[in-house]
Amino acid sequence: MRSDVPVPVVEFRGVSKSYPGIRALHEVSLTLAPGTVTALAGENGAGKSTFIKLLSGAEAADSGRILLRGGDLPTTPGAVIDAGVSVIYQELTDVPDMSLLDNLVLGRQPSRLGVVRRGAAKRAARAALDRVGLADLPLDRPVRQLSLAQRQLTEIARCLARDASVLVFDEPTSALSESDAQGLLDTITALRAQGMAILYVSHHLDELFEIADTIAVLRDGELVGVGPVGEWDEAKLVRAMLAKDMAHAYPWRDRPVGAERLDVRELDAPGVKRATLQVKSGEIVGLVGLAGAGRTELLKALAGLSVRSRGNVEVDGHPLPARAHDVVRHGVVYAPEDRKAEGLVLDASVVDNLSYGVYRSFTRAGWLRRGRQERLARAAIAGFGVKTRDPRQPAGKLSGGNQQKIVLARAAAHTPKVLLLDDPTRGVDVGAKAGIHEHVLTLAESGAAVLLTSSDTDEVLAMADRVYVLRAGRVVGELRRAEFDRERVLQLAAAG
Amino acid sequence: MVITTSTEKTAETRRPDPPPPSVLRRIAGHPRTPIIVALVLVCVAMALLSDSFLSSRNFTNILTQSTVVGIAAVGATLVIITGGIDLSVGAGVALAGMVASQLVNGGLAGFLGVVACLMIGAAIGAFNGISVAWLRLAPFIVTLAVLGMGRGLTLQLSQGQSVYGLPSGLTWLGGATIGAVPVPVFLLAAMFLIGHLVLSRTTLGHQIYAVGGNRQAARLSGIPDKRVLFQAYLIAGACAGLAALVLVGRLGAATPTAGTGLELQVIAAVVIGGTSLFGGKGSMVGTLIGVLLIGVINNGLTLLNVSPFWVQFIQGALILVAVLLDAFNQRRLSVTDA
Repeated sequence: MRSDVPVPVVEFRGVSKSYPGIRALHEVSLTLAPGTVTALAGENGAGKSTFIKLLSGAEAADSGRILLRGGDLPTTPGAVIDAGVSVIYQELTDVPDMSLLDNLVLGRQPSRLGVVRRGAAKRAARAALDRVGLADLPLDRPVRQLSLAQRQLTEIARCLARDASVLVFDEPTSALSESDAQGLLDTITALRAQGMAILYVSHHLDELFEIADTIAVLRDGELVGVGPVGEWDEAKLVRAMLAKDMAHAYPWRDRPVGAERLDVRELDAPGVKRATLQVKSGEIVGLVGLAGAGRTELLKALAGLSVRSRGNVEVDGHPLPARAHDVVRHGVVYAPEDRKAEGLVLDASVVDNLSYGVYRSFTRAGWLRRGRQERLARAAIAGFGVKTRDPRQPAGKLSGGNQQKIVLARAAAHTPKVLLLDDPTRGVDVGAKAGIHEHVLTLAESGAAVLLTSSDTDEVLAMADRVYVLRAGRVVGELRRAEFDRERVLQLAAAG
Repeated sequence: MVITTSTEKTAETRRPDPPPPSVLRRIAGHPRTPIIVALVLVCVAMALLSDSFLSSRNFTNILTQSTVVGIAAVGATLVIITGGIDLSVGAGVALAGMVASQLVNGGLAGFLGVVACLMIGAAIGAFNGISVAWLRLAPFIVTLAVLGMGRGLTLQLSQGQSVYGLPSGLTWLGGATIGAVPVPVFLLAAMFLIGHLVLSRTTLGHQIYAVGGNRQAARLSGIPDKRVLFQAYLIAGACAGLAALVLVGRLGAATPTAGTGLELQVIAAVVIGGTSLFGGKGSMVGTLIGVLLIGVINNGLTLLNVSPFWVQFIQGALILVAVLLDAFNQRRLSVTDA
């Protein structure tokens, strides 16, 4: 008997997986069909990553079966890729200094008797690039020179060059700007039309509604809902993810704003041109703009991570020093967007991560007072609601949201005059987001001048008292909260 | 009566914590357990194979022979935790010992020779530190270059000749005994104690771990990363100077080829002791055990009349094993993100 329902290419049948102390997946059954996008939603720790690890062959299920075209899924990552299942991860996996061509055929060089067949390689690369809309990029360019969005698309092209028929996207837009993210979603839609089976994992719920045919929700390792996109709305989806009604309300509230703390005049730095802006004590000021507009670059210049070639930066009337560690001592603390690479020492304990640089509070003449250090750390853990089994556990073992709370808690321990927040809720689940927003507010209320940017423009508009709009490294507009209008902001950011 | 709390708690907790590991399990899981077991096993094997191994005189011997490697390894531990490496330690020992001895032979007071020896070691460390921290050169290359320059300079200054007949002021630290125990053994113990305290109880130690674990995160927390790197190399250089004094004292002479291959033994001891070549992880206690393990193996092989050529081979193999363990640990950690 045949029906119109496409035959699934991937099928999870009652799949379970546990790690010591954690039931990561429990009796999950889900199918992926050609020509459809299946969205997988869930909080951090709901089991999405485990699902992907099992599908990619990186880990084996404890029980249940995973079928690929009716047969068992191969058991090693390499064999799974050869069988046509490719995962595109949040972080890029390309080789930056190799050419686009070499990256596209990496590990799959067409060759005869050990000699690379350049012609065949180029044809395959061209065909793959064409399918992701990058047909006119020169093949000999090192991928380091491509934009982040182009590199992301190149990753997809690489999978296509390997004859992938199942594509898994793990938070692919988290590092992209709004317009680049849209481009990626368009590409995914085009790939669906070409008959690919696509699994899409993202924290951005609006993206799921835009591209998915089916939405599946995981909660605590169990599949708690699956159905066509038409059966879902955002409230229902959030309810299913959290099992309780919690619209992601932003905790913005009016608060007293004091004297001017941060004064930036005519600042030139890499990616920043003639930037002039001010932030007052207690004020939360947002930076909005497309990717490449200079939001992160401006924060990095203020943090001392790039050279300020021109202009003045003053904090409370004193010039800001040039070097990153002096900047921190001056009361300007930067919380980087990539907390794993720049924010934390992942191997070190939570306690140690909370104490870097705040030695004044628990040392005497260069000697640590371990008891005091741990008491302060425990207070910070409680104050910021960091969920950790043991404060002596390595910070790398905590979830993204909890890691971000550690970064914020340490920033708070510096009693910052100015707080520079770069995408503070990137890759953080809905529940933890609300907590982080609350802490940002509290820090502002204690007198810090907060400069905030995010890949999610709505987040900035929801949290800020005022925004500066950036375009091509310049400040092109300033809006007060009463004037906030998404359309107007995006218009300013895109064209002026 | 309040006996309901515990059941209430477990009902509330979504994922109950696993029971605390037993003492045995904690010992088995401790990162230093394998190397302590290895040290014990090697000692037992040596005791069975050689009659002369188990004697207080032989133990004193092992400790004395470990002092040069041990003192240098204290400094190298700091450098390796920052994620760096110091290949210049052997050349530093030779150069510092040679120059100090020549100065003393030329009329400088013995204790000033001691000071000079430490200063030369520290100067070499400072050179390494400036190159690595501020000139941003790769530690491996810088210290390899300094190794070459140091060896050449030592040979040029000495014209290949050893310096003998040194006054006791210079040789006391390496050659004298207090009671039945040689001074270098006390020195070794003191250096490890100080090193341990610096690493575990001072701001500098805390910062060294942070810089080695994630330099960018350290810098963004207000840690002066370059100064910390410089200090680690400076201390390592000073330790090489002290090791030079011990070596000169023990031999009663400064030889131009002193400390040849020392860097290999030092790195072996540090890495076997569990300090990660990736940086950010390690301990002075581990290094001490690593030093003792190498000392016992060297001593045992000598007692068993094994060719010294094999001794060097075995040291190389030990490094390989230690680096393998390090790499496996690193990989195990990198896949635990659930």
